This record gives sequence, C-alpha cells and structure tokens, in this order.
Amino acid sequence: MQQLADYLLAEGFLSGLPKSVGYVLVVAFFAFVLLNFIMLVAGVTSWLERRVWARIQSRVGPNRVGPQGVIQWLADGIKSVLKEDIVPEAADKPLFKGAPYLAMIGFFGAWACVPFGDGLIVADLNVGVLYITAVTGLVVVGILMAGWSSNNKWALLGGIRSAAQIVSYEIPAAIAINTVILLTGTLSMQGIIKAQGWAPWNWFLFDNPFTFVAFFIFFVALLAEGNRTPFDLPEAESELVAGAFTEYSGLRSLLFFLVEWGNLYIIGALCTTLFLGGWQVPAFTDNAFVQGVLQMITFFLKSYFLVFVAMWIRATLPRVRVDQLMSLCWKYLVPIAFVNLLGAMLWVVAFPHGNIVMRLAMFGFGVVVTIYFFSRVASHLRRARPEMTWNPIS
Amino acid sequence: MNADAIDLDVRRETSRGLETEEMTLNMGPQHPSTHGVLRFVVKADGEVMRRAIPDIGYLHRSIEKIAEKVGYHGFMPYTDRVDYVSAMQCNQGWAMACEKLAGIEVPRKGEYCRVIACEFGRLASHLLSVGATGMDIGAVTPFTHAIREREYINDILEELCGARLTFNYMRIGGCAWDLPPGFVGRAVKFLDRFEPLIDEYNELISFNKIYVERLANVAVVSREMAIAWNLVGPNLRGSGVKYDVRKDAPYSVYPEFEFDVPVGTGERGTLGDSYDRYMVRMREMEESCKILRQALAGVPEGPVVAKVARMFKPPAGEVYVRVEASRGDMGWFVVSDGSAFPYRVHIRTGSFAAMAIIEELSKGLMIADLVAVIATLDIVAPEVDR
Amino acid sequence: MGLGAYVTNIRQTIGTIFEGMAITASHFVRKPFTIQYPDRTDIRVQDSLPFRYRGILDVDLEICTGCLACERACPIDCIVIDAVKDKTTKEMILKRFDIDLAKCMYCGLCSEPCPTGSIHHTPEFEGADYSLESLVRRYVKAPVVAYKPPKGAETDPDVAPILARGLRYLDEFASPGDAK
Repeated sequence: MQQLADYLLAEGFLSGLPKSVGYVLVVAFFAFVLLNFIMLVAGVTSWLERRVWARIQSRVGPNRVGPQGVIQWLADGIKSVLKEDIVPEAADKPLFKGAPYLAMIGFFGAWACVPFGDGLIVADLNVGVLYITAVTGLVVVGILMAGWSSNNKWALLGGIRSAAQIVSYEIPAAIAINTVILLTGTLSMQGIIKAQGWAPWNWFLFDNPFTFVAFFIFFVALLAEGNRTPFDLPEAESELVAGAFTEYSGLRSLLFFLVEWGNLYIIGALCTTLFLGGWQVPAFTDNAFVQGVLQMITFFLKSYFLVFVAMWIRATLPRVRVDQLMSLCWKYLVPIAFVNLLGAMLWVVAFPHGNIVMRLAMFGFGVVVTIYFFSRVASHLRRARPEMTWNPIS
Repeated sequence: MNADAIDLDVRRETSRGLETEEMTLNMGPQHPSTHGVLRFVVKADGEVMRRAIPDIGYLHRSIEKIAEKVGYHGFMPYTDRVDYVSAMQCNQGWAMACEKLAGIEVPRKGEYCRVIACEFGRLASHLLSVGATGMDIGAVTPFTHAIREREYINDILEELCGARLTFNYMRIGGCAWDLPPGFVGRAVKFLDRFEPLIDEYNELISFNKIYVERLANVAVVSREMAIAWNLVGPNLRGSGVKYDVRKDAPYSVYPEFEFDVPVGTGERGTLGDSYDRYMVRMREMEESCKILRQALAGVPEGPVVAKVARMFKPPAGEVYVRVEASRGDMGWFVVSDGSAFPYRVHIRTGSFAAMAIIEELSKGLMIADLVAVIATLDIVAPEVDR
Repeated sequence: MGLGAYVTNIRQTIGTIFEGMAITASHFVRKPFTIQYPDRTDIRVQDSLPFRYRGILDVDLEICTGCLACERACPIDCIVIDAVKDKTTKEMILKRFDIDLAKCMYCGLCSEPCPTGSIHHTPEFEGADYSLESLVRRYVKAPVVAYKPPKGAETDPDVAPILARGLRYLDEFASPGDAK
C-alpha cells in the first residue's frame, strides 16, 4: 500500500498536499474499504453459520429475508441498532462503553496484514505474523473490560475465563507458527506464501509430518482464541446467557458479535497463509489484473472453507469445561507442540530444501484420510436411508 | 428463603494473608439452561462451588388442591400437567388410583393401549432429557435430532388421542380412544426408523470424548446414597440399584412383556456418575422399543374402557399406587371420603427427591458441572412444584 | 497419568471427533424436517391434522339438545349455558351458550358426553387475537329452540349432515360396549 501511496503522490493525483497528509488520506481510504469488506464478510458469515447449523440440525435456517435469506444479517443489524441502549446503573460507564471499541480495534488491526493476493496487502510488515498475533491480544482486554464493567458476577466469570483461555492458547499457536517459520525464515505474510507453491503438495501442510501436526495444533489453538466451540465457555449459552456480553444490548453487542464472526475469517486467513499456500495459483495468464483476481478468489475460498469447518465443528462438539480446557492446553497441546518443533528443526537440518518424496507421501496420506471420511459419511447415510434426499436449497 | 441459611460472602484468609471472598451467585428462575423455572443460590469460590441451594416453588399451581374441586373425572387433564414432558404415565397413575379405590377392572385391550401410550411417552421423555443434557453441555445438534424424533412420536400420539403434549388419553376404567385404523403399521414403521437412529445418536454424542470427559466421574452417587436420598428411576438405576416398578411391583400387563432393566455399570468412570445416569436413559429407550414391538404385535380384541358412572363416587378409603414414570417411581396417594370429590390427592415425584440431593452433590463441583448434574438427574420443574 | 493413558486419550479424542463430524457431514445431504408454516406447505396444516385433533371448540347449535352435559363435565368451568324449559310449549330454549377460549384447556371432556356431537373440537388452532373479550365465543345470537332428536333417522335435510358429522365424531370415542 505504501507503493500505491507513493505512486499516487508521484503521479500528481494528490499533488499540492504535503506527503504525510497524502499518506493519511490513502490510509483512511483503505481502512474504509477494508471496514466495509469486513462488515460484509462478518454479516454473511453469520448468515452462513445459521444456515450450516440448521442443515446439520435437520432444519432450515433463515431463508425469508432476501433470496435464501442472505440479507438476514442486515435485518438483524438494523434491529440491533434500533434497540434501546441499556447501560446498567451500577456499571462502570466509561469501561462499559469503551470495551466493544477496544475489541474492535484489536480485531480490525489484524486486517492490515492479511494478504489477499500478490501485492494486495495493506502493509506487508516483515513481522506480519507476529504483528497479527500481538494485535489480536487487544480483544482479550476488551472482553475483560466488558466482563468487569458490567457489574454482573456471571459476566465477570465469563470475562476471566476468556482471558485465561486466550492467553493460554497463544502459546501452542505461537509454537506452531514457529514450526512453519523454520521452513521460510521470514515472518512476513507475503514471504511465507511465496515460499509455498500452488500445488497441494507444495503447501506447508503436506511438507512433512511435523507441519501436518502443527496445522491441527494451530487450528485448535486459534479456535480457542476466537472463543469458538468446543472452547466457547466464556459465552456458554446454557450457563452464562452470553458470558462477558450479558449486559450488552443493541449496537454494542452487535460489535462484539461482529468481532467474533470476523475473527473466524482471520483464523481462516492465518491458517491459509501459513499452511494452505495462501493465494498461490498457477500462472494462467500474463495479465496481472486477472491473476490478481484469481489469487483473491483462491485465498477467499480457502480461508472460507476453514471458516466453514469451524462452523461445522461448532455444531458438532460439546463444550469443554474450564479446567479441562486448561489441562488440554498445558498438558497436551504445549508438549506436543514442543516435540513437534524439535522434530521440524531436525527435519529442516536434514532436508534444507524439503523432500519431494515426503511431500507426495503426506499428500497421499491426506487424500486417503479424506476418502475414508467420505466413506464413513456414506455409511451413516446408508444406515438412515429413509430420509435421504438431496435438497441444498429448501 | 431463610436468610440465615446463607451466610453471604464468607471471607477467608488464604495462607498468604490475602483476603478472598466467596461469591454468592444467583442462577435465577429465568435461565436458558435449567429445566423449567428452578432457582439455585450458588456459593462459589471462583469456579468451584461450595454449596448450591435449590429454591423451588416457582411453578407451583396447586394441582393437588384443584383435585378436591374438580372431581375424579375432571382431574384427568390436570394430571397431564404434573409432568408435561411425559404425560401418559401421569394419566395412568391417576386412573389406576381411582380404579383401585372403586375396584374397577380395565379390559385387556385397554391395558395394552395404556402400555403402548406409556412407552411412547417414555421414549419421548427420554429423548427430551438426553437432548437437553447434550444442549446444556454445549452440543446443540443432538438436541434438535432428539426433538425431531420426539415430533414423530407426537404425530403418532396425535392421531391416537388428538393432542401432542397434554394428552388426556386415559379415563378411569380404560382409555378414551381406541387405536385408529393403521396405527399399528405406522407405529412399527416409526420404530424401524428410530432404532438405528439411537445408534447414530450414540456415535454422535454419547461416545464423544469431550462429552464423556464432561460427565464421567461428575457427581457420583453411590448405592447407599441413592437409596438414602430416595432417588428413583434412572437416577437410582444409574447408581447400580436394579429396581424398576414395572418389574418389582408390576402393574397393568407389564408381566406379559419381556424386557431388561438397564443398570449403570461405571463404564467410563465411577459407578453412579452422571454418565451412568445418562447411558441408562439411552438404554431404556432401546428397552421401550422392545416393549412397544411386543405390545403392538399382540394387541387383543375387545373394548378399551370399562363402564364407569358419570358421577364417580368411590367408597371411602385411601390408596397408594405406583407407576414407573420416565423420571422414576411416581406415587399417587388418594384419600376418598365417599363423595364425588377426593378428600386429598398427593403425588410423589422423582424430581422432587433429585432436587434435594443436588445440594449434597454440589460440594466441590464446578459451576459448569452444576448444569450437567441438573440435566442428568432429569429434573423437570413441573414435577418438583406441581 | 501414564504414557499409555495419554496416548489413548489423544487417540480417542481424534477418533470420536472424526466420527461425530462424519455424522454431521452426512446431515448436509439429508432433507430437513422443517415444515415452513404457514405459506410454504403443500396443503393447509389444518387439513393435514387427524380427525381426532383437539383444536378450538365449535358448537353446532342446530343439534344442541340443551342437556348441559358439557357444562357439567368441564373441569375448568369455561362453558356457560342458559337453557330454560318453556312452560307453555315444553321446549328447551337456549338463551346463552358461551365458551371462554382463554380458559379452555382442550381436554375433550366436554365433547365426550354430548349426545349428538354438537360440541366438538375442530382442527383449527389459529385463534390468537388482540383482545381478551374476543376469546369468549358466544354461539347463541338470539334465543333458539333446542334440538330434539327424532325417534328414527333425522329427516330434515339441513340438520341431517350436521348430525351425521356429530355422530361420526362421537364414534371415535371408545365406549364400554365396543367389541372390535
């Protein structure tokens, strides 16, 4: 984006303005574009989540507002905005009002480093991954503030659980990231993607068994960071109504939920960048614009597939209890992640440029697991045969 | 509530001289989890509970008193509301109590219809219970699958008696409606569809490692404790006590059917933990399917109701009748003074005793476990408060 | 916790989550169970209900005999009937027949003792309204003479189909004499 700003200034579009003002204008414009994109994605994600959940639960989700219900999120958003703004009387007012914005800042700041395509990134920091991990930590502060300032013991419990959870699960996530960084040598998001190829066996996911395991550790840790089931104890509906966000209504609660759904996309984007090859597509044409569009579509589809998997997991699995969550992190994920890192280190020493045999073998393993999965799905369908009718749109 | 019973916010000194307080939380009558309107005052030390004191009475509707006003026939719809999740067995309890008072014999086909209705009711109730347990633990899908099956059962019972929740199917002396034509075929078709789905349900959630970890070794109720605290039904059987009113104090035509009484075995944890109680319910569903198949195959001919006077005046006396409701041994105590209105009706329900044991069980559990305990003890508020 | 238990935990977790996800994935291709009431159903829901369905009560005044059996049977006193015997013509005159739907619990105890099936449940269940007064259904607009069932079959062409339907409704109830 800096190149674009320089280009615009040089070409004279913003001539007559001092450089800093020109930069600010470009930054504001991109922020505005990104914000709209994020709101759209978060809203459509909420609709998709409800439809996916509904199909899994043998029912039909929202399908009335707009074709197949795609603008349901808009209706919900407008309703939330029009609601009465209730601030509890004994609540700590500045903290209560400021908490959603802090969470939004933490979440929004991460988008500065999300690579949509080759050159399509707001700021290609050379510590991109580290930056994202750090900035999303602000969301914890927002949730804690929300829990504390609500003057509600249940909200406080929810906020504290969430803080413990997010802080603990940063560690396996960071170790899993390191496993990948060993292969690339750079923390920059574009650099990591460029170190992979477009073919599945050139992705870091199938590079060696250690990155394969690291992918699952990373995905689980990110699910915990995003407060998604099976780790959604802070918002456990059956116990705490809405956990840290119990006292929020109207626009403020909408902001929190937007943060949650948008975070899903960040999870998908991070996993895609690190493990699934990012926006890499084979070089079809020389036209940079068409390539750029193809790359954007590829990246979007890959990260959205992971968002879909996260929704699917949420509908399937029950919640993990707080002490089990902590023991899962510290007794299982952290040791396994460390051992994994050691293994990856040894692998990189042995094969500095990777090993095509291992890559193809891992890819074959992945294909076998997928085929086995579909065979299990088919066997379940056979057993419950009387009701099977394919009807995706109902 | 007796304020002296709850010492609010006990302050304690930890070993390092820091002060810590116990929180007093209110898991209030309006809550997305608890099964009906129940209230718990939870005294917790952070996440670990010290005591959870139940507060009941939010759903009290004076049903037992109403019986003294509406008379014997008129009370039948009210019995549905005593436990609306499985209403057929409540109907049967009241009908049996009145028949015992007046010495009325129910025709054989009437008994068969009653058994079919009660076992369908048991299936529906257990489906709701396991579904709600799953939802309280966090798995939302099994709940909707269970409700889907319960809707099929509701459809079947709707064509039998015209209603889906408050059936009012039985009368003193038998049943109000005979089996409609084609009922047996449709019911068997439902059973054929339903039995594989129990296996699928088990694979989806019952054997899920996270679910097992949430329920195993939580709130262990030993044999002695279960008997001492008067637990009944799947709660008692989950602790290893093989007691079922249908086998040990049989009524109706249950002796003619072959079925097993599933007992908790401590398969994934300790004997008598929440997982055992949950699995007993799953297994009881399979046994109910067996009973239903036998009953549907062997329905005799004849009337379904005996001749009973419009103005029902049983001789003076008292009677205590027990039925195996979904939540356990439901006792119906009726005192008659010879007039058309009962002198006193009392209903002893399984959920009431289960509420009492929660305070004992909750010591040392986590708040997340409290919800699991309430769910696996299958407490429904209408039974507790009547 | 020994190494064996540790590995078993991991193995069981991965295995059961895999199976669970396969089941939920299979649900993507199954037909949903939802009936999209009220506008996306094949037939009106009221028409798909069984004949015994206990919906909102209805009274066919043409065949009401004024016996007050329903009023006595109702446990919740939601039926109020004013029936007086005219001293000169010896006919029952129905002055008032009110059913308070707000109180009715749809138990069916009133329709069972009716001799002609005049009071019966309909498959109608959409009775919600904005005012509580509108829930009291008043079936007698002007005093009418109660019905007197004839000795043989009913010959009046207006009343016969109503009586036939009422008797068919009563037939659904079991009686002690059934030998089927």
